[in-house]
Amino acid sequence: MKRLKKYINQNEWYLMGIILIYSIIVTTQNSGFFTLENFFDVLKGSSGMIILAMGILVVLLSGGIDLSFTAIAMFGGYSAARLMMATKIDNLAFAFVVSAVIGILLGAVNALIIHKFHLPTMIATLGTSSLFSGIMTTFIGTKTITVGMMPKSLRAFGGFRLFEMVNDAGSTYGLTVFIIPVVIVVVVTWFILYKTMLGRGVIALGNSEEAAKRSGFNLFWIRMFIYTYVGLLAGIMGVIYVAEVNSVYAVALYGTELTYIAAVVIGGAKLTGGEGKILGTLLGVIIVRLLNSTLVFLGLTSSWNGFFTGAVLLFSVGLTSYMSRLRSRRNLTFTD
Amino acid sequence: MKRLLVVVSVLIIAFSTLGFAPASAVASAPAAPAQADKKYEIVMVAKMEGVSWFDDMRVGVEQFGKDYNVNAYQIAPDTGDPAKQAQMVEDLIAKGVDAILVVPNDPKSMEPVLKKAKEKGIVVVTHEAQALAPIVDYDLEAFKNEDFGVVMGKALAEAMGGEGKYTGFVGALTMETHMQWFNAMQEYLKKEYPKMEFVSKQPYEDNNDEKAAYAKVQEILKTYPDLKGMFGNSASSTTMEGLVMKEKNNKNIKVVGLSLPSMAGEYIKDGFIQQAQCWRPADAGYVSALIALNILKGEKITDGMDLKKPGYEKVILDKKIIYGNAPLILTKDTVDKYDF
Repeated sequence: MKRLKKYINQNEWYLMGIILIYSIIVTTQNSGFFTLENFFDVLKGSSGMIILAMGILVVLLSGGIDLSFTAIAMFGGYSAARLMMATKIDNLAFAFVVSAVIGILLGAVNALIIHKFHLPTMIATLGTSSLFSGIMTTFIGTKTITVGMMPKSLRAFGGFRLFEMVNDAGSTYGLTVFIIPVVIVVVVTWFILYKTMLGRGVIALGNSEEAAKRSGFNLFWIRMFIYTYVGLLAGIMGVIYVAEVNSVYAVALYGTELTYIAAVVIGGAKLTGGEGKILGTLLGVIIVRLLNSTLVFLGLTSSWNGFFTGAVLLFSVGLTSYMSRLRSRRNLTFTD
Repeated sequence: MKRLLVVVSVLIIAFSTLGFAPASAVASAPAAPAQADKKYEIVMVAKMEGVSWFDDMRVGVEQFGKDYNVNAYQIAPDTGDPAKQAQMVEDLIAKGVDAILVVPNDPKSMEPVLKKAKEKGIVVVTHEAQALAPIVDYDLEAFKNEDFGVVMGKALAEAMGGEGKYTGFVGALTMETHMQWFNAMQEYLKKEYPKMEFVSKQPYEDNNDEKAAYAKVQEILKTYPDLKGMFGNSASSTTMEGLVMKEKNNKNIKVVGLSLPSMAGEYIKDGFIQQAQCWRPADAGYVSALIALNILKGEKITDGMDLKKPGYEKVILDKKIIYGNAPLILTKDTVDKYDF
């Protein structure tokens, strides 16, 4: 128990409790929820979100906010698909490399603007978000890529399962191959944040820029790392997104940034920087995902959607925040 | 340094609020013709760039330009943003074009700017916006929405053999056309096929987001294991129903709904979507432009007149709404004929 405590904080216990209770309620309403098939389906649907959330966590830890990652993801995914169609190179690795390189370059633009002009990260990335998507729609195109035009390797990747099963009704399901990039990204993010000086630097920057500077961190390179890393993850996510739905609208993800940021914040990351954990972030993604996708199971009609999601979200965030305040007061700290 | 900072932040904010609407408007408009030859300038303002639906509409509009020797072209905002679209119409008024054709994202918010266009003597024709008919010259509809709903309902009933549980999607409960199709379809099925049961109280919403539709279709399958049919009143949902059925290799559930040949063609051919319905965007664009040209030339639009495209040979004129009868049915055999 003591050792567990080291890895799981109070806030994360509450989140797990909420997820558990919520899952039980849904299961009592509909037994289709608690099945392996549903687990695999939800896992596949959350893959892209988990990858992006890892990047957002790094940005939030550094005290910044990035609003351009969806634009970068679409830029990467869409351009990769278009380039594959134009050059006839039907290769998955090629897609990932193209998208990742685009992501890293655009991330570097963010980092340069933020560092050189000392702009608030939110303003800078709000600007670059429009800029990136504008560059894409103007110079690369906006034509929808539909299922028939989609490169074969991307389609195969989207539908590939590591193993397959058949349910009673005769339909097949299985564990998506997306789990491989997801696990790699989570482990790498964990390693960088907690096992390297770079990760220490990110957190130090989020706690106090001045202190980080005085303790000898090179803020330029730390910012460069943060925003190119988010860019890289956005690039990877872009390819996964394209492969998953088998068609690309050039503007598909644009405008959904806040949902992703909300998931990370629910997971316990502070918008003011310096605080946030990987486990919490994963739990935050699960909560957002559960809320958005269990209405069907609960038999609620579509008109309930917004009301229900908002209410449960506020409740869970409010509870965790209230509990942590109680705890702080017991410890006689009054910082938040 | 500080001043530079201020300038840069102002620029960035300006960029982000303006988006790229003006830029793309310029980019997609062909070079202005020499003033000497007084060609009519007829401009279609579509809902957004980058969707195959409006790419096909552009084909029709440009074809019209060639056929009738007028300067006809299409522009659209990058995203389906009603404010940006209204701004584009505003720009066209300032430019002084002869006719504006609009497929509005949000008819209500388009009202004031279209009124202004009319006051300036510009001919205005809308498509898919019956509510705007009183203030514009004409509104063009490919068919009566009720009829289209019945076409869908009939296809679903036939695919399901006239019995069993079914459910499906609209884009959003607030989307007027989708709801008109849905209601007409429900009414028809209740009357003609009493053995069919609609399992949810309301249709599901996908908000035209493929990913949302994809996730919801998966959940619906688990929630109603004995489902026999699914419809989609939005192209995204029908297509994603096809994709999920294909991934789960499930042909027991019959899928029918609005979609495009390029989006659903493959699923139709593989038998995961039984039938899709739509109308030809190129024709709608072409016919809208023709209506505008007729008005510009001072010719009258009359009930039963021939507007030159399949399904529009004998249009119905109801006050200021022009109805064609041009639903396009896509099946295994016909889907390959179209390129949109």
